[in-house]
Formats: sequence, C-alpha cells, structure tokens
Amino acid sequence: MTEKMSCMTQNRLALNTVSCCLNTYSGLHFLSFLHGCPFTFCVCQRWVSEKLSVESLRDLELFGEQAQGLSHRNAHDDSQESLTSLPRRDTMGSYLPDSSSYELLAVIGRGLDELMTVNMARYRPSGEHVAIRRIDLEFCTNDMVNFLQGELHVSKLFHHPSILPYKSVFIAENELWVITPFMAYGSARDLICTHFSDGMNELTIAYILLGMLKALEYIHHMGYVHRSVKASHVLIAADGQVCMSGLRSIFSLIRHGQRARVVHDFPQYSVKVLPWLSPEVLQQNLQGYDSRSDIYSLGITACELANGHVPFKDMPATQMLLEKLNGTVPCLLDTTTIPPEELALKPSRSGADSGICEGPGAGGVRHSNGEPSSASSGHPYNRTFSPHFHAFVELCLQRDPEKRPSAATLAGHPFFKQIKRRPSEALPELLLPVSPITCSGNSQPQYSPSGVASLESGLSHLEVDDWDF
Amino acid sequence: MPLFGKSHKSPADIVRTLKENLAILVKHDKKTDKASEEVSKCLVSMKEILYGSNDKEPHTETVAQLAQELYNSGLLITLVENLQLIDFEGKKDVCQIFNNILRRQIGTRSPTVEYFCSHQEVLFILLKGYETPQVALNCGIMLRECIRHEPLAKIVLQSDDFPNFFNYVEMSTFDIASDAFATFKDLLTRHKVLVAEHLEQNYDAVFADYEKLLNSENYVTKRQSLKLLGELLLDRHNFTVMTRYISKPENLKLMMNLLRDKSPNIQFEAFHVFKVFVANPNKTQPIVDILLKNQTKLIDFLNNFQKDRTDDEQFNDEKTYLIKQIRDLKKPAS
Repeated sequence: MTEKMSCMTQNRLALNTVSCCLNTYSGLHFLSFLHGCPFTFCVCQRWVSEKLSVESLRDLELFGEQAQGLSHRNAHDDSQESLTSLPRRDTMGSYLPDSSSYELLAVIGRGLDELMTVNMARYRPSGEHVAIRRIDLEFCTNDMVNFLQGELHVSKLFHHPSILPYKSVFIAENELWVITPFMAYGSARDLICTHFSDGMNELTIAYILLGMLKALEYIHHMGYVHRSVKASHVLIAADGQVCMSGLRSIFSLIRHGQRARVVHDFPQYSVKVLPWLSPEVLQQNLQGYDSRSDIYSLGITACELANGHVPFKDMPATQMLLEKLNGTVPCLLDTTTIPPEELALKPSRSGADSGICEGPGAGGVRHSNGEPSSASSGHPYNRTFSPHFHAFVELCLQRDPEKRPSAATLAGHPFFKQIKRRPSEALPELLLPVSPITCSGNSQPQYSPSGVASLESGLSHLEVDDWDF
Repeated sequence: MPLFGKSHKSPADIVRTLKENLAILVKHDKKTDKASEEVSKCLVSMKEILYGSNDKEPHTETVAQLAQELYNSGLLITLVENLQLIDFEGKKDVCQIFNNILRRQIGTRSPTVEYFCSHQEVLFILLKGYETPQVALNCGIMLRECIRHEPLAKIVLQSDDFPNFFNYVEMSTFDIASDAFATFKDLLTRHKVLVAEHLEQNYDAVFADYEKLLNSENYVTKRQSLKLLGELLLDRHNFTVMTRYISKPENLKLMMNLLRDKSPNIQFEAFHVFKVFVANPNKTQPIVDILLKNQTKLIDFLNNFQKDRTDDEQFNDEKTYLIKQIRDLKKPAS
C-alpha cells in the first residue's frame, strides 16, 4: 500500500527539505516560481528562486499514451479472471451503462492482485446472464487507472469471435464495471486448477490453441503485440467458443501515423507473466521484439495446458532469464521426454516436473519448478503426445524469433489436423466431467459494496466539524 | 496483404474508386453491399501505400501522389464525414490513413496541417464524433493526433464547441468519456503558451465549467479533473491563471470540502491544490479570513490527514509546512 502511495506522488512537485537554504521559506520548491516573478511579489528576494524547474519535476505523462516506468510494482495476476458467456454475434450489443440494470449474483473469480472481482450477473432488461468485472478504483493508483483505460480503449477497437468483447463499461460509485459475456467454463487456467492438474488431453489443447491462434492472427494483423498470452487469459464459453482476453498489456506498433517494426517497451505490471514472456522481451536489448514474442508465449502456454503447470514457474526471475537466453527449451512431459531414469522412479517428485528438457548441453537434474503431479495417477509417465504436438511446441519455442512461424502459418500446422468437429460439438464433451457453471444454481446475491464500506470505515478518524465559511 | 497478387492500382485510381463507392453508400442505394466491400478494399490498399507491408517500406513518390489526390478530391474529409457508413475495420483504416497523412512533412512545412487550417470543419466533425458511439473512439484517435499540432489545437481550443468537452468527459459510457478526457487533457497541457493565453482570456467561462467537473457525481471525472487542475495551476506557464484562482474564496472553500471527500484519492488530489492557497505569500484578505476562521480545525485536520502515507516524505514535509503556515497566520490587528 505504501508503495502505491509513494508512486502516486512521483509526479508531484517536490518540497525540498534540504536545510542548506537560509531562509525559512525556500524549502517550498513547488512555489518557487511564484517568487521568480519580481513584478508580482516584492518579497521575492527572500525566496531563493532556485530555477527549480517545475517542469522537470512534473512528468506530465500524457494520459493517452503509454505510461512509463514503475514497471516493477504491482504485478497483476488475473489468473482467475475467469468466466464470462453467451452467444456472441451482436458485438456492439446494447447493454445499458447503469449498475441498476444488473443484478449481481455469485462471485466467480478474482484477479489483478485482488483488485478485481468477477461476478456473474443477470441483465434485468433481458434476463440474460453476463459477467461483470468490478475494479475498485480507489485502490488503484493514477497510473493504474490510466493503464486500465488503455485496455478498455483497445478492446473497443477489436472485433473478432475469438476475442472477448466488452459489452459495456461504466463507473458505479468508485468502481469500474466491465460487462462481458458469461464464459461458463472459466479460463483454461481454472480448468487446470480444478480438474486437470496433470494437464489436459491433446485434442482439447488443440481446440484451445487454435482459438488462441485465430485471436493472435487478428491481433498481429492489426499491428499489435499481445504480451500477455497465457492459459488464464483464455476463456471458454458454454458452447465451446474459445476467447482470448487479458488485453491490458497489449502494445500497438502503429502510433501517431507511423508503424514501428519492433517494440522496446517492457510491459507494465507484468511480474506474474514473466514465465510466459519470450527471451527477447525479457532481454530488453536494442533489437527489441515483435509479434513473434507472442508465439513463444503460446508455446509456453501449450506446455502449461499439457503439463498442468507453467515451465519456469517457481524459478527466480534471473535464473529463468538465463535459462531462456541460454536456449533451455521447455517441452511437453510424456514418455518420450521424461528421461528413462525418471520414469523408473514414477512417484518421485524430481526433475520430471520441471517441464524443461535438456537444452543444448544442459544436463543433470533440475529443480522442480511446478507442483508435482498429484491427482490422476502418474499421468505424465504413461502418456504420449503426438509427434506433431511436440513439433508444434518446438517451432513456437525457438530461441531465434525469426524462425518462429507466424500465427497464420501455425494455424495450418498438421497438429490441428486432429480437429474434426466444431468446438461447439466437441469441446463440452472433451471437458467432461467438468460442466459449465450454470446460471440457475447458486444465484444468491452476493453484492457487498465493499468499496464504499471500506472508504467509510477509513474515514472515521477524519471526523471534523464542518468548516466555517 | 492481398492474397492473389498485388493490386497495381495507382493512387488516383484508388481515390476515384473509393470516392465513387462512398457516394453510393451515402446515397443508400440498393447496391450498398458491393460498394461497402469496395470501400474496405480501397482503404486497405491506401493503408498499404502509406505504411508499407511486412517486407516493403512505403514508396515516397506514391505516398506523395496519394496525399495530393486526397487533398484535391476532398476525400480525406469525406471519409471523416461519412465514417459511420464504413465497416468496423474500415473505420480503423481511415484513422490510420488520416494520421499518417497528417504527420506528413515537406521540409519544415506540414501540408496536411495547412490543409486542415483552411478546412477547419474537419476538426468539428471529429469533435462531434464523441456524440456517436460507433465512431467516437475513432474520431478521438484522429482528433488527438490533430491537436498535437499547435495551429489545429488553437482552432479547437478557441472554438465555440470547446465547452462540449465538459459534457463529453461525463458521458456514462466510460470508454468514450475517458477518451474525451484524454483529448481534453492533451488540449490543456500540450501547447503551454497557447493554453495559458486562452485560460487567461476566458478565465470565467472555463473555470465555471471546470467547477462542474470537480463536483461531478462520477468518481473518475472528479478524481481526474482535480488532478488535472493541480497540474494546470502548478504549471509555471499558467502563473497568472493560478494567482487568479487562488485569490478566490469560493475556490478555497471547494478545495477544503474536497479535502474531506470520502475518497482518500480525491482528498489527496485536493491537498495538492489546497497547498497552493496556503503557501501563497500574497493571500487575499478573503482567503486569510477563511483560513483564520478555521485555523484550529485546519491544524487538527492536517495533523491527522492521511497519516498512513508515512513513506511519502514529500507529502509529509508539505503537510508540516502548511501546518506551520496556518499556525503563523496572524489575526488582523484590530
């Protein structure tokens, strides 16, 4: 909390306390310019008119543009920012921007470092169910508010069946409400956490990855880099529609009427996304990176879906960076990739779970960096993914971004040949025994206006009589 | 990225085809589907000429030709005027074409800026765009790009339509409202001298409207407009405006009330405006009167104000300074 606060003041004028100044007022830098004006104030002599540049202290970051810096604070985790669905189509759908039109039902997820609550809700005028992402802006720094506004802006410029649309966005008290379709299976990450701790089966993964590739193809074609591709940002609707979400870190290569070839910016608030980010994004060198970095993240996501956990997850950030730069390539864990000696030790919890195969020259046992496979008996040890799937992942995870195929090319990879039916026919069946959250079940209202309540309690010590005017 | 070979149409051909088909859309004939598709195609080709493609940089001469055609035919403005008739992706292409042409430079000249100066209507069509949800964000993107250029910013700032911003930033659809606020903020902060002059000359009108934002029911409007006010007042260029602002007791009252807003963030922003009133060495009598009347309360209040910001040295120093200033205020010798 204090961290957030100090950040808020970074753009403020400094009040310098250094005591080198002889007179009592000179410390007040923020007003020094008041006194630099001899015609107005005759006291000016007493005020050291340090030319203390007001401007230099005030980094007026222009709100429409990418805010800079402060990147290491406040990582957001939207891993559970799930759930949202209904038939899509009418993308501009008219949902009223007014909180009284929505009846809040169960809380179905949280995210953004607990700043965000996702509720299922009933849209009163039509009775249909939607998901509402509520963010209490009172807990967000000014920077964070700008950051969220940037996301909303971008999402309104996208229109694709594989990208989660924002139906309506408005302010209710001190909360930001974003209305989205209700995605009844939640995120792919949710599915892993609740039902597939050792990973999903290959065909399910094929459907999910293909949906992601379609979204990425559109995003890249529009000149953007997503920069936050991971399983928690893929949502699945009751009808099996796969949608990408998590546009908060997206970056446009086209700015001010010019197209850049590469990005150098490091995504803000992205600490939790580091394991998915490509070596070139992490490396932050002059060559920059482009949409191919999303392809790397897609490869990591493929491992995440197949293995049940993301490679590099519990590794210190610097070690992860070194591993990636040195060409350590994560892989799908199955009988073909887990070393024979590991297979022999079936129930053990050593290197096999790391999801990292030997990179060139790498050897020996690595630290486990994912939860050991617990549930369904020894899955990784007796399953075998298809050679096409292994090949697909290898293509995505190549160290040299130039060698990674584009999203459009990857969508035609033989790995997807196994898809014979439409997602709406196949996915719900494949996801069994998971059933989509139904809207009828738990519909006890759970809305507590937490924001307002917390504000008021915080005020108690501030009770003062009215001012006298 | 054309799938089957390149379309080798010249800029003149593209502009003509686009213009014809756009006219069909405007007339709302029966063949609009075909025309709509044709419009989209032309926009894509134009974009490719201007931005190049993956393996090809834009060709300077073709770009110059296209720009010339766009000026001569008036198509650039027609596109903006009829933006809502163009499909979703086409609207974005128009923005990108518009912004690219806008940034064109020949030596030190900006031909498009000059062109818009003599076709000012385009700026007001863009501004009016905030009233039509389907085009609001596209118009915002183009308008913000325009006001990066001082001559165009000046036209918008000094127009009778400028006050419309005070309504746009409060719209219930948050994505549009925040886009409008971004433009509004750019207008008031980008060209310092121009803005200072404008605020001085129109002080009463602008601040009467601005006060409505500070009293807004909308949390974000209130918070962001208060923050922007602080930035404006503390900008050296706006010195005269600041002196005027901090001489008025109504403004001090408003800030004192906002110091007690239920939102700590709003209190905090209010603090940064309030401090200017107190630190002013030449306070007007009405200001001194209010501060004196509330001397004890203010000292108590500030002593307890946002105590949890312990890490924020600057804030705490400023607070201490203000407390000292208020304590030292002398009752007028009566």
